[in-house]
Amino acid sequence: MPTRTSQHRPASSSRPTSGRRQQNKQKTKQVILKVALDLFSRKGFYRTTTKEISRKAGIAEGTLFNYFRTKEDLAMYFMEDQIAGLIAWFQGEKPLQRASLAEQLFAIIHRHLERVGPYEEFVGAVYLRMLQPVSKLNPLSLDTQALSLRYLRFIRDLLAVAEEREEIPHMGDIGAYIFALFHMAIITYWLYDQSKGKENTLALLDRSLKVAVSILRKGGWNW
Amino acid sequence: MELVKNSHPNGAIGRGMRMGRLGLHVVGSYLGYQLQNLLLGSESREERHTKLRRNVSRRVREELAELKGPLMKFGQILSMQTQMLPDESIEELSNLQMRAPGMHPTLARAQFKSSLGRYPEEVFREFEAEPFAAASLGQVHRAMTRSGEKVAVKIQYPAIRTAIENDFKLLRTATLPGRMTGHLPVSILKEVQRGFLEETDYINEGRNIDFLREALADLPYVTAPKVYWDATTDRVLTMSYVDGLTIRDFLSRRPPQEVRNLIGQRLLEMFLFQIHCVHVVHADPHPGNYFFNLEGHIGMVDFGCVKKYSADVSELSRCFIDRSWTNGEKQVQRISRLLWGTPQFSRRAKTREMLRSVSEFYDMVYPPPETRRSVVDFADPALLGALTRNFQEAVRNKLCNAEFAFSSRAELGLYNLLHQLRSRVDTRRVWSGVVERLSETPIEPLPAQRR
Ligand SMILES: Nc1ncnc2c1ncn2[C@@H]1O[C@H](COP(=O)(O)OP(=O)(O)O)[C@@H](O)[C@H]1O
Repeated sequence: MPTRTSQHRPASSSRPTSGRRQQNKQKTKQVILKVALDLFSRKGFYRTTTKEISRKAGIAEGTLFNYFRTKEDLAMYFMEDQIAGLIAWFQGEKPLQRASLAEQLFAIIHRHLERVGPYEEFVGAVYLRMLQPVSKLNPLSLDTQALSLRYLRFIRDLLAVAEEREEIPHMGDIGAYIFALFHMAIITYWLYDQSKGKENTLALLDRSLKVAVSILRKGGWNW
Repeated sequence: MELVKNSHPNGAIGRGMRMGRLGLHVVGSYLGYQLQNLLLGSESREERHTKLRRNVSRRVREELAELKGPLMKFGQILSMQTQMLPDESIEELSNLQMRAPGMHPTLARAQFKSSLGRYPEEVFREFEAEPFAAASLGQVHRAMTRSGEKVAVKIQYPAIRTAIENDFKLLRTATLPGRMTGHLPVSILKEVQRGFLEETDYINEGRNIDFLREALADLPYVTAPKVYWDATTDRVLTMSYVDGLTIRDFLSRRPPQEVRNLIGQRLLEMFLFQIHCVHVVHADPHPGNYFFNLEGHIGMVDFGCVKKYSADVSELSRCFIDRSWTNGEKQVQRISRLLWGTPQFSRRAKTREMLRSVSEFYDMVYPPPETRRSVVDFADPALLGALTRNFQEAVRNKLCNAEFAFSSRAELGLYNLLHQLRSRVDTRRVWSGVVERLSETPIEPLPAQRR
C-alpha cells in the first residue's frame, strides 16, 4: 500500500533533494500525459478541457500550468515521449536487429503509428500546428532541435549499419533527413487514410521503402 | 491533399506508364503481325511467327512480373484464358503463376492485425513469422491454435482490392495488345475483373471450402481444409493444415504403379463427381494445389477459384463421354446449341464435324467400348499432346460455351496431373461409378456468392 510505505519512510527523505524533485516532476508529467491521452482517445482532442485533465490527474488546474504552460508544451512532451519509446522499443527487439533495412524502417514507422493510433485526432492537431512557422512544434524551431537530433542520430546509426552490411551505398547524414521527411509524409497520409484497417498506409509504406532501398542499391537515381 | 494522392501506392500513373511501355513494345512487333495475320489468314504463317511471339511473350512476362501484385494475377488469368493467346505466350505466362509480392514478417504481422484487430501471437499459440508458401495475392504461414491444432494462415498483401480496381480502370483504356486485336472485349474484361475481386475476398473462399468440404465428404480418400472462422476475415484465411507430399516430392519417392493408378483413378472420380454430382468444380488445376501420400490419400487446397455450373455442363460432358450426342439430328442440334448458343453453322455437316472434333477429345479419355481398350495410360505423351491440340483447336474457334471451356480447362489440368503421375486408369469404370452415385441423394447447391 503506498500510504503505508510513505508512513515508514525515513524522516531524512521527507524533504526531497533537487534530483528527487526532478524525478517527481517527471513522474507527474507522465501522469498528466497519460490522463490526457486517455481523455483524447475517448473524447477527442478538441473536446477535452484542461479542467478535466487536472481533475483526473488529481492536481489543481493552476498546478497543471506549472507543468505544461500550453497545449503545445504537452504536445512536445508527447512527441519526445513517443520518440524515446520508439528508440527503446527498437533496441529491445532482437529479431529486428537482423532484419533488412526496409523491414527495420517499416517497423519503426509502423510501431509509431500503432502507438499514436488511439490519439489520431490529437496527432492531426499536432501536425497542423507543426506546419505553422511560429509554433514551437515546427521542425525548424529551436525547441524541437533536441528531439530532432535524437531521432536523426538514431536513424543515421541504423543506416550506418546497413552501409556496413553493404545493403546500401554510403549516404552520409542526408539519408536520415530524407527518412525523417518520409516519416512525416507517411503520418500525414495515415491521418487521411480511410481504408479498412488503414491498409493503404501499409501498402504505401512497404512499397516505397522497398523501392527506395532497391534504387539505392542499384546505385542512385539513374533510371 | 493533392500531393498525398499522388504518392498513393496504387496510383494508376506509374502503372499507366509501364503498361504504355508494354503496349509500345508489343505494338512494335506482335501487333503488327497480328494485324497482318488478320489480312493474310493466319494458319499457314503460324510457324514463321513463333520465334517472334516467343520474344514478345518473354517481354510481356518480364513487364508483368515487374509490376508485381494484381497485374501478375492478370497474367495468370491471361494464361488461363488460353483462347486469347498463342501457345508460346501461354507457356511464358504460366510461369507467372507461382510468384507473389513477398511480405516481410513485420508487414505480414501488421496486415494480420490491420484486418483481424489482433496480432497473430494474440490469436495463436504459435505463429511462424516466415511464410512457407506463396499465394497469388499474399502468402501462407504455419501456425498452431490455442487448442493445439496445426493451421495454415493465408494473409493477403495490403490494399490488393484497390490496386486491382485501379488496374482495371487502366486496362479499360490501356493499349494492351489483346484489347486492340479484339481478343479482350470489355465483357471479358469485366468478367475477369469480377473474378479477381471475388478472389480477393477470403470470406468467399472460406465459404467455398466449407461447401466443397461437405460435398466431398462422400469421398473418404480426399481431405479438404476446415475453416477457422474466428480467425478469418476477407484478407486473412485460417484453415486446417493439409498434410501430404507435393507431386514432386511424391514422385521422388518412387511410388509403385498401383498407388499412381489408385490416385489417378481417384482424381478422375473426384473431378467427375464435382461436375456431375455437385455441379461445381475446383477450377484451378495447378499441381501445387494437390497433396498426396503413399497410401493414395489426396489433399486439396485453394478454393478461391471454385466455379459453379449449370446442369448444361454436366449434360455436355455426359453426352460426349457416352457419345449420346449422335442420337439423331434433334440431339445434334440441341447439343450444338448448348455448346455454341445460337446455331453457328449454316451447314449441318459442319455442325457434325465440329461436334466430332470435340468428341474425339473425349474418345481418347473414355475409349468407346468397341475399341476394347479399357485402361487409359496417361503416361503416353501422345495422349496428352493430342488432348491439348484438340482442346486448343476447340477453343481457338472461340465458339465454345464459356462455362464448358472453363471446365475443359480444369479437365486439361487434371489430365496433366495424371500424366505427371503416369497413372493407368480404367476411365469407363470410374464413370460408371459416378453415374451410380448420381442416383443417390442430390447435394444442396452452392449458396449465393457474397457481393
Ligand atoms: N490448408 C493448407 N494446408 C497446407 N498448405 C496449404 C494450405 N493452404 C494453402 N497451402 C499452401 O499454400 C499454397 C498457396 O495457397 P493457395 O490457396 O493456392 O493460394 P492462392 O490460391 O491464393 O494463390 C498452396 O499451393 C499450398 O502449398
